[in-house]
Amino acid sequence: MKVLVLLSAGRHPASGRAGPVPVELAAVRLGASLGGADLAGLHAGPDADAVADALGHGLARLHLQPLAPDADPLGALEAAVRRLAPDLVLAGNRGQGGEDAGLLPYALAARLGRPIVADAVALASDGDGLVAEQALGRGARRRVELALPAVVTVHPSAPPPLPFAFGRRRSGTIERLPAFAADAPAPAAPFEERPYRKRPKLIAKAAAGASAADRLKAATEAASGGGRVLVAPDPAEAAAEILAHLRAIGVLKR
Amino acid sequence: MTPAPTLALLVLILAALAVAQALRRARLWRRGRPAHVDWLAGLKALPRRYLHDVHDVVARDPYAARMHAIAAGGLITASVLGVFGLVPALGHSPVYGALLALAFAAALAGGVMVGRRRSPVKPARLSGGRFRLVPPALTAYAGGGLLVGIAILAGPGFAALGWLGVALAAAGAAVLVYLLGDGPMRHVFAGALHLAAHPRSDRFEGGRETALHPVDLAAPQKLGAETPADFAWNRLLGFDACIQCGRCEVACPAFAAGQPLNPKKLIQDLVGSLAPGGAPYAGSPYPNARPVAGVGGPELPIVGLGAMVHPDTIWSCTTCRACVEECPMMIEHVDAIVDLRRFQTMELGAVPEKAVQPLLDLRQAEEPGGRALAARGDFAAGLALPKIQDRPAEARPAEVLLWLGEGAYDLRYGRTLRALVRLLGAAQVDFAVLGAEERDCGDLARRLGDEATFQDLARANIATLSRHRFGRILTADPHALHVIRNEYPAFGGHLEVVHHSSFLDELVAGGRLAVGDLGAALPGAVTYHDPCYLGRYNGETEAPRRLLDRLGLERREMARSGKRSMCCGGGGGAPVADIEGERRIPDLRMGQASETGAAIVAVACPTCTAMLEGVTGARPEVRDIAELLLAAVEAAPPAAAPARQRQPEPVA
Ligand code: SF4
Ligand code: SF4
Repeated sequence: MKVLVLLSAGRHPASGRAGPVPVELAAVRLGASLGGADLAGLHAGPDADAVADALGHGLARLHLQPLAPDADPLGALEAAVRRLAPDLVLAGNRGQGGEDAGLLPYALAARLGRPIVADAVALASDGDGLVAEQALGRGARRRVELALPAVVTVHPSAPPPLPFAFGRRRSGTIERLPAFAADAPAPAAPFEERPYRKRPKLIAKAAAGASAADRLKAATEAASGGGRVLVAPDPAEAAAEILAHLRAIGVLKR
Repeated sequence: MTPAPTLALLVLILAALAVAQALRRARLWRRGRPAHVDWLAGLKALPRRYLHDVHDVVARDPYAARMHAIAAGGLITASVLGVFGLVPALGHSPVYGALLALAFAAALAGGVMVGRRRSPVKPARLSGGRFRLVPPALTAYAGGGLLVGIAILAGPGFAALGWLGVALAAAGAAVLVYLLGDGPMRHVFAGALHLAAHPRSDRFEGGRETALHPVDLAAPQKLGAETPADFAWNRLLGFDACIQCGRCEVACPAFAAGQPLNPKKLIQDLVGSLAPGGAPYAGSPYPNARPVAGVGGPELPIVGLGAMVHPDTIWSCTTCRACVEECPMMIEHVDAIVDLRRFQTMELGAVPEKAVQPLLDLRQAEEPGGRALAARGDFAAGLALPKIQDRPAEARPAEVLLWLGEGAYDLRYGRTLRALVRLLGAAQVDFAVLGAEERDCGDLARRLGDEATFQDLARANIATLSRHRFGRILTADPHALHVIRNEYPAFGGHLEVVHHSSFLDELVAGGRLAVGDLGAALPGAVTYHDPCYLGRYNGETEAPRRLLDRLGLERREMARSGKRSMCCGGGGGAPVADIEGERRIPDLRMGQASETGAAIVAVACPTCTAMLEGVTGARPEVRDIAELLLAAVEAAPPAAAPARQRQPEPVA
């Protein structure tokens, strides 16, 4: 199986230093866990300085798709993936230090016409396909089977990256792909940048100000999710159920 | 033929066989990597190194020192005398006979002393096995020689006695030769050669060479040591010199805590990896030893479940150098352990689980906690902490640059640093800090074998430091002190660093700080815990004691202090490696402090503070010497503290 891990130039949240993104390194580990997979990384950008450390975290090869620093990487990544033709594209579920919108894997999957599975924490190959374990809210897990080729994003609660080994980084190789004529500059980010700070943990609104026991109850009750599980329902019945739920939570007004 | 020339021939044969054994062993050493050895200087220095450095260590155990002097001295003198039996005229000279008898009698007494050490019960630190053959072999050889001497003395009628002596000596000599090649007697030639070809030639005659040697990261060979052949040949020679005296084992804090490390056994495992199938080990094992396959060879891995040494063994070490300090054969255990770690870390990425994140943060944030470098000064909230970047370009260079170190992020240690900053203010020291430009010094990365990250940090820090103008670097962290003072020079950083204990002592001695008597405010004695990286690594044991004595406190010494002090358990990345044992090292050390009956343990290191403060239950209080000094300065009668009156404590 040919596996390609997308690597973005991240920035450390405290130091601001360029470096690989932890969740993408976790993706490298998941790729390596497939055993015998032909594993390589892909980065689109002016150079591979920020991501080269990924070679020390279990990646033996890295493809660099040269690209102007301000260009939209989507087209370049699409071209590179088509050229390298991997069975599986792995990505972090979002970057770190850029826009961090988490949209790129979806946009890329759409361009490539491949299915995408989000937030994997474990992977296993299964004949021609793949079994992925998805992280859902509050620690829940869901096992999905998917046919290849596909795109899978990795969740931060996946096993942590393999430890950095300088010797492996030293012996890893970086291969430059042919230049890509950027189709468009990246859309200007409509965001404002502010220094990183840890967000305070929100206490469930219903129980704010209530006793500790009440807050615990509120938190654990919310954890139990709610909703109904329908097993192999009739399509019309399923659709009605979804509509009813969307109305109940106020997404649909009528 | 008479007994005298026969004995002489026997001695010569013994010597020839010894040389042959040494040459055979040398073939093994040559499997190691090449090393630059200045043979001429080494051989010239050999007698001095033996008489000073080795003897200083051996003499700590007076019985062993006497035993070795008598046994070795007697054996060598008697054997050399024995060779003179070839001179026909001497074969019947009563004077020669008397001298020979005397020398062999001394050797015999030495042999008996060697035997007495292991009887009636063998002390745990000593080895059994082939070591039990040494006393009978020595006594047989020396007793036989003694009989020959007596026979010569007694005259021609006693030739039969002489022949009996020759036979006895021959039997003893045969065993000795056997033990020379693969047994306890190997230390004779390996030890001597190791002294001459020692990889740290500057550690002798009062010198201290404690910096780790850098790894050439660009060299094509593998990083660190995987197999015995990856060690330099003179390191292999050093392992072979081990006499299994167990002094390192007794000193090792990890061994005492029941962690799976015993420096003596580790050295023997390295010997066993180089030459599998040798003399079986008969000393104490690794405590709570983890199972390994026990397979080794010159080109086979040393560390691993399928090899000789379990990874937990090398990660238990605190790099405290207590073993090195106690080793009479001048073996460098810490170098070996760090070399093994380097391969695990840099080639395999096999670091202990809890060390992964700190190492990653060191790479990405230049700080093992992943915290903002600018937050290092937060401990000082409310105190003036001038930044060196804010000094006007035309200002004089700062008197000292205060290197805050990792401890600055720790709440408890922040109190110590606050005390230090206030003392600097009181003494009107012109100081500054690097602010967000101070990165981690790289100590943790280096001890954990991540030489690449260490070198990045070292180079970055050296570049920063060379941009600023200051007199000396002042730090309260002995690890930073050691790294900057002793390990940065290999990367082009030649900086003068002073520890806060010495600096504060200077300030008080120079009259810049007036101290009052703390005796009344703090009843009870104080005992000082030497940080390994200050005492053993840098030889600074006096200044902190001098300073404490100025405060009017009663000072008591723990059984292990100064350069022979015991580690707090915090060095070498041991706390992040966190290898399970039966006890905790800081609990053991705190127990030793309690034994003195002192009410306060004075410390001088952020790591010692954290480790000793972590001890639960009734125990002496932990105070840094800066905290104690500040209390004494505050206790000084106002008239006696002019410096403080002129400049009130700075408040930002
Ligand atoms: S390493 Fe040194 S101290 Fe330890 S047993 Fe061997 S000779 Fe003795
Ligand atoms: S350096 Fe300290 S912890 Fe490590 S082996 Fe030697 S005595 Fe034990």
